[in-house]
Amino acid sequence: MKPKLEELKVGFLAALDNVKDDQGLEELRVEYLGRKGKLGDILKGLKDLSVEEKKDIGAFANTVKAELESVFKRKQAELAHELAGAKAQDEWIDVTAPGIAPEPGHLHFSTQAIEEFVDIFKQLGFVRVRHPEVDWDYYAFEALNMPKGHPARDEWETFFIADGDKVMEGEKGKMVLTPHTSNGQVREMEKGYMPLRMMSINKTYRRQADVTHVPMFHQLEGLMIDKNVTLAQLKGTFDFFVKRFFGPDREVRLRPHHFPFTEPSFELDISCNTCHGSGEFEGNRCRMCKEGWHELGGAGMVHPNVIRAGGLDPEEYNGFAFGWGVERCMSMKSGMNLRDLRIIYKNDIRFLKQF
Amino acid sequence: MNILASYNWIKEYLQTEITPEEFAREMSLKSMSVESIEHLKNRFENMVIGVVEELKDHPDADRLKIAITNIGDKKVEVVCGGQNLCSGMKVAVALPGAKVLWHGEGDWVELKPTKVRGVESFGMICAPSELGFEKAPCLDGGIWDLSDITEASAGTSFVEAMDLDDVIFDIEVTSNRVDSMSIVGLAREGGVVAEGEFEFKEPALIKGGAGKELKVQVDAPELCPRYMAVVIDGVKVGPSPLWLQNKILLSGHRPINNIVDITNYILHEYGQPLHAFDYEKLGDETIVVRKARDGEKIEALDDNTYDLKADQLVIADSTKPVAVAGVMGGAPTGTRDDTVTVVFEAATFDPVSVRRTSRALNLYSDSQLLFEKGLSTKSAEVALARAVELTLEVAGGEVASPVYDVQEQDYKSLAFPWRSQKTRDIMGVDLSDEEMIDILVRLGFKVDGVDGEYNVVVPFWRDHDIEAEIDFTEEIARVYGYHNVPTVLPDQAPPTVFEDPELAWEDRTKKVFSSYGYIEFYGYSFVSAGDLERYDLDPEEAIKLYNPLSSELTHMRTSLIPSVLKDIEMNQGETPAGQVFELQKVYMPRKGDLPEEKSRLVFGGFGVKDVQEAFLRQKGVLEIWAKSMGLELKVERTTDDVYWHPTRSAAISYNGNRVGTIGQVASQYQQAFGIERPVILTDIDFEQLVSSMKVQLRYEPSPDFPAMIRDIAVEIDAKMEFDKIKNKLIGMDELLRAIDLKDVYQGDKIEVGKKSLTLSLSIRSDKKTLSSEEADAVVGKIERVLVDQMNAKVR
Repeated sequence: MKPKLEELKVGFLAALDNVKDDQGLEELRVEYLGRKGKLGDILKGLKDLSVEEKKDIGAFANTVKAELESVFKRKQAELAHELAGAKAQDEWIDVTAPGIAPEPGHLHFSTQAIEEFVDIFKQLGFVRVRHPEVDWDYYAFEALNMPKGHPARDEWETFFIADGDKVMEGEKGKMVLTPHTSNGQVREMEKGYMPLRMMSINKTYRRQADVTHVPMFHQLEGLMIDKNVTLAQLKGTFDFFVKRFFGPDREVRLRPHHFPFTEPSFELDISCNTCHGSGEFEGNRCRMCKEGWHELGGAGMVHPNVIRAGGLDPEEYNGFAFGWGVERCMSMKSGMNLRDLRIIYKNDIRFLKQF
Repeated sequence: MNILASYNWIKEYLQTEITPEEFAREMSLKSMSVESIEHLKNRFENMVIGVVEELKDHPDADRLKIAITNIGDKKVEVVCGGQNLCSGMKVAVALPGAKVLWHGEGDWVELKPTKVRGVESFGMICAPSELGFEKAPCLDGGIWDLSDITEASAGTSFVEAMDLDDVIFDIEVTSNRVDSMSIVGLAREGGVVAEGEFEFKEPALIKGGAGKELKVQVDAPELCPRYMAVVIDGVKVGPSPLWLQNKILLSGHRPINNIVDITNYILHEYGQPLHAFDYEKLGDETIVVRKARDGEKIEALDDNTYDLKADQLVIADSTKPVAVAGVMGGAPTGTRDDTVTVVFEAATFDPVSVRRTSRALNLYSDSQLLFEKGLSTKSAEVALARAVELTLEVAGGEVASPVYDVQEQDYKSLAFPWRSQKTRDIMGVDLSDEEMIDILVRLGFKVDGVDGEYNVVVPFWRDHDIEAEIDFTEEIARVYGYHNVPTVLPDQAPPTVFEDPELAWEDRTKKVFSSYGYIEFYGYSFVSAGDLERYDLDPEEAIKLYNPLSSELTHMRTSLIPSVLKDIEMNQGETPAGQVFELQKVYMPRKGDLPEEKSRLVFGGFGVKDVQEAFLRQKGVLEIWAKSMGLELKVERTTDDVYWHPTRSAAISYNGNRVGTIGQVASQYQQAFGIERPVILTDIDFEQLVSSMKVQLRYEPSPDFPAMIRDIAVEIDAKMEFDKIKNKLIGMDELLRAIDLKDVYQGDKIEVGKKSLTLSLSIRSDKKTLSSEEADAVVGKIERVLVDQMNAKVR
């Protein structure tokens, strides 16, 4: 029987070589390895053999069978791969064609800025609040240590509300469009809770319109009132913001300034990201900044008169306040190229889609 | 307010070796912000004195000359158009490499050798404005003739010849620190915050004279706390010497004549404005400080005539105003070349009065700028002494009157108590009392007291600035250096109040719309009356600005729709279709109170082609938004709202209250705003809904048995609303769980007045998987209802 098996093997291998497709492979399987196939036929003769022969031939037959099956499987895999390759050619796509983007929505530039500010100051426990945009002179000026006739009032080009051909007046003075968000300072203190850490991001209005000024813009106002608030904490708070908003390599600087409602008062500067605060870039004066620094906003320790106007005792409570223009701050962030701020509120979709 | 300050001048009062850059850095960090530093030597590099030796005609241009100019080591040809140029003239020549201001404007531009109309020109002969001295005395547009100004020979550098080797700082002075709007003030600050010894040289006391007496009278002492005057006779009025002119020019003033220049010099040096009258022009040799009389006029030094009002303070002679107090002198009584006797005035005026008068007359000056910030009565006397000292030196003459000095009360220094621990607490820095007192003393304060409780006397130049104890903390903190203060985060317990929920709902709303492809509009809060009227909103019912910036921005908006429509119109050229939303405040007036600021939401699409489809898509977004806000909104047809298309709009309500509208903007408004294609908007009273908004998370388990979906097509009246069909059918069989509208068709194959609907029925049992027969039974039942009760045909 051995020669028969050898012969079978040779025949099988030769036939297998000629197989070209799945169908041929299946036919070959049926012919040789199937239930009624050639291998089965030969093995039927086993029962006629002696026990001795059975042992010997049986083992040999198993080896041949395993060998044939193994070769067959390999061929099967080869054929599958070949076929897949051919099929894949029919399924070819161009992976280099331009991507098709869904039509996305867009949050406004200012909304995105506000979102970023809120996220940062939330981490320090500042609670977002909102105060009127149309308010009394009292909150906009008087309670902020700027009595009537105070020259500093001129620094805010204020819009007034009309009552016929006069300025609208009420118990708390003239009605104005808030020229800054600081009107919220005394309003928030009047609520009577302590400790207080608020951020108020709101629209403010000034009579100005040129490349760097828009009549409506946003300010961020931060106010912390508590016991034992220090200038060092204000500095820490500002630094915390700057490193998160502008980047960990940016430095802050406080420079003396004057605001009637804070004492001491300062301007808040951040180091220039072009010259890194040196004021020099590639051997020349840095053209992006003022001597290495950008002015961001104003800040200070809340004036005792303002604490008093808020109904608190300045001997017990003190605090700090800071503020800056949202649009300006956002456009200062590296990479922004907003030369004309007036575009921000024009609602030109070509602008809005870029953010 | 800014001051141009010469470093050389500052150093007349401050003995220091530090560089201008070091000075500027220390000042910026601890005192006043130095915005720029200008080295004149650099600015005038390659700028030399030249002497014109010969003028030749330009071959191709009548108005140009070729000047053969001696520049020391050689003679060069320079093409020049200056009509006053003549041979022998000493001029400033900008050689190639020098920087000039082209026509006196713009940025400094570096010169290169160039051809002017075909003729090579080696540099340029300059007019004052081209050197940045547009205020230097010179013929209009002419070349700066330096023949009488400098002795320097040809080839000398311009800086050396003109004695201009100086550094000019542009310094921003805060409005409370008027004392630093002066050279002396800056030198004093420099001595404290930078390095060096500040020394104030007191001018010599005035020795009173006689012969030209004055009558000086102050009728309004509340507006003029101090008035001083003195007469100098025999002065020779004329151009100032070079050093004086230079200082005047570098300070940004215009040299006029030596007397006027002296007043400006002292204004800049001491920060105290002065005025000089021609003694002969003052009627009856009288000076009266009084309020103006209605109808009085004055011709001021700017050559304009101003009508005065009764509350405005003037300086008058026996009959007429001769100066607007603190603002500007009168032209007829000013000093001129033929003036021989001058009256110097040094006074203090009420800051508010000066400010009001200046605003009312729309008349501004360097004097007014200082007076309205508040000056000390004390500074008048030093300034007057300085004026006399300088006049005698520069213009000659002698004092010919006593020193007149009218003040109601003698000067008394201000003083405040100060607790040193307060300052330490606020700064968060542990400074010793000695360190702090040292700072105050160096700034000119006098400090008395022990054990942390002090009395601090304020120097006169800080009279209007220091108002309370807290101000001492600022002085100490800034001189210590804010940059030296540590950076620490607040360690107090955080507040426990809640955020205004409206803000969070607004954020969420904005996110919903932006994530469904809507672009956020963010418009001005103010619109024009016309914008409101175009949408039939009454401007009388809106908050109106008293002092609008333009007629385009006059009223606070009471609806977002007019601005949205306006913006759609503006965009439709470049962006023919789009989806936008705006969530902002509108401002509703309330009598006798602040307006109510209410949030409103508008969203929608413009450039719409298929209104039915656009409406349904928008309604879908409305539903998604409502679901995210936890709101169940009802949308029902409305036909009588003039703002909306009569058959393409629906009222939105919540709990029985109308909260908005969805639909097509009525065609009359679409036209009024010039919009080409239909606009579908949803307008929501956000404010009204906000208190009902809630986060709703609800889990419904998935059904255990599958639903069978069966579609049926029916032909039905074209105006039969889906809601009616659905409400009719949904209760017909408990296995019918939902009805959806899959397709609507109207056209060729359908009878006019009818439409074909494909309804998709979802049939499901909670107990078992339904058989096909069971589902068919439900479909059959539904079809019968449609046919029998709703006049439909099953297709």
